[in-house]
Amino acid sequence: MNMKMNANVWSLNEGELRTPQMNHIIMMALFIGVGVVVGTFGSLAVPLGFVSAFWPGQAIQSVGCIWFGMWGGIASIVFPLISNAIAGSASIAVSLAYAPGNFLQGIMAGWAFRFFKCDPRLTSGKDWAVFTVFGVILCNAIGAAWGVTVLRMFGMISPSSTITVFFGWSIGNSVPSFILGAILLKFVSPLIVKSKSFCKKYWA
Amino acid sequence: MEGAQNKKMMKTLLALIPVESPLYSFHPVSRLLLFVITGFIPLFINMPELNFMFAVLVLLLFIYSKVALSSLKMYLPVIICAGIFTFLTFIFFPGKDPNYQVIGHIFGLPLYDQPIMNACIAYSKILALLLSSIFYFSTNRERDILAALRTLKMPFVASYVLGLSLRSAGMFLEDLHTVREAEQARGLDYAALKFTDKVKLYSMYIIPLLSLALRRSDEISNALYVKGYSMKNSGKRADYILTKYHFSAADVVSCVILVLLLFLIIYFKYRYQWFDANHSLLQTLLK
Repeated sequence: MNMKMNANVWSLNEGELRTPQMNHIIMMALFIGVGVVVGTFGSLAVPLGFVSAFWPGQAIQSVGCIWFGMWGGIASIVFPLISNAIAGSASIAVSLAYAPGNFLQGIMAGWAFRFFKCDPRLTSGKDWAVFTVFGVILCNAIGAAWGVTVLRMFGMISPSSTITVFFGWSIGNSVPSFILGAILLKFVSPLIVKSKSFCKKYWA
Repeated sequence: MEGAQNKKMMKTLLALIPVESPLYSFHPVSRLLLFVITGFIPLFINMPELNFMFAVLVLLLFIYSKVALSSLKMYLPVIICAGIFTFLTFIFFPGKDPNYQVIGHIFGLPLYDQPIMNACIAYSKILALLLSSIFYFSTNRERDILAALRTLKMPFVASYVLGLSLRSAGMFLEDLHTVREAEQARGLDYAALKFTDKVKLYSMYIIPLLSLALRRSDEISNALYVKGYSMKNSGKRADYILTKYHFSAADVVSCVILVLLLFLIIYFKYRYQWFDANHSLLQTLLK
């Protein structure tokens, strides 16, 4: 029964046609706004310059891509550009260099939930496992690896501190990411999956 | 004092500045270009003293634009923590190089000349970039950003999304304020809460706030539909915001100077290795 419900979240009903609508764009814009606030708060709460060590914005990226597919992916790129600039945690050049990492950091969970047909409401052990592995651990590792590479490229961290910064970044971000991400999926997903903005595929 | 009270102030994204700020004689495109160029210049400069001079120049721009420097107070922890973190990474992880020279000791650890120089370079860049970024958002409103992007012929959908995103950040904070007031009206005492409860409470705020955003997305998309906007074809419409701004000769001159400045810095850096650390006065002092 549980498996059936999991599959139903992503599968199209008979005759159901889904195309990108204005609604998706508006939800993405509003979601970027949410991300800007959460991201700016995270950057100002633990200010380490261009290095990120406690950034709840990552949860917004993962959850956004699970709910809104590629629209969440676009939001994952755009809101850090704004929140980094407002919080002064990275310049426009560094933020642009972070963009592919931010996209991967978000879309990883979106892809995994669709591929493994998991329920965004976290109804089974499998859903929790996929969220923890792909939406928290792997995506933060990828984001941290990309971020550290960018910082090395711009000479912002010492070469020998690369590994330490990578682990600090990835583990530090995983904590708020897991807590906020789990709360969002568990309590807000039931509303989102019933809404027009929810994307069963990547764009609609 | 009376004059100060009567002064008309305008709320930007991060600060309050007088309407008659001299910066507003420039077109939003010029201001956006200043933000982009100043966001790149320090990255090409490996001389800390030049980057610190750049930071001072940005502070002078704050004064010129009549932005109260007190608005920078909230960034003080960022400025201090970023400095401490940068120096600690270079002190604790200096790397190995036979050419390093010990210039002192801290916490029983040797301080090497080159890692300290690299820390100064990194921190001076962070400081210069941070101030230039804060400057832009302290002096520009969401409307100025939109005007700049629409002047640059950004597609309607993209500029609309950006405008709505910035506005929705404000709406999100207003909703948060409403939720907190409702909790207080029901007798919740924040001061009496334990730290863990506060963390839990703050995480839970996201639930009503996202639900409100979801409802709002339906309302906004319906409103746009009624007004005849669609994803692919919004038609050509008069843009009221753009009629409020005019690109003057001063804008042309300032834009040309800014672009030229960036190109000259890049040219001299890569052609003649100007702005490299070995030309730095600090490097000489450390040796």
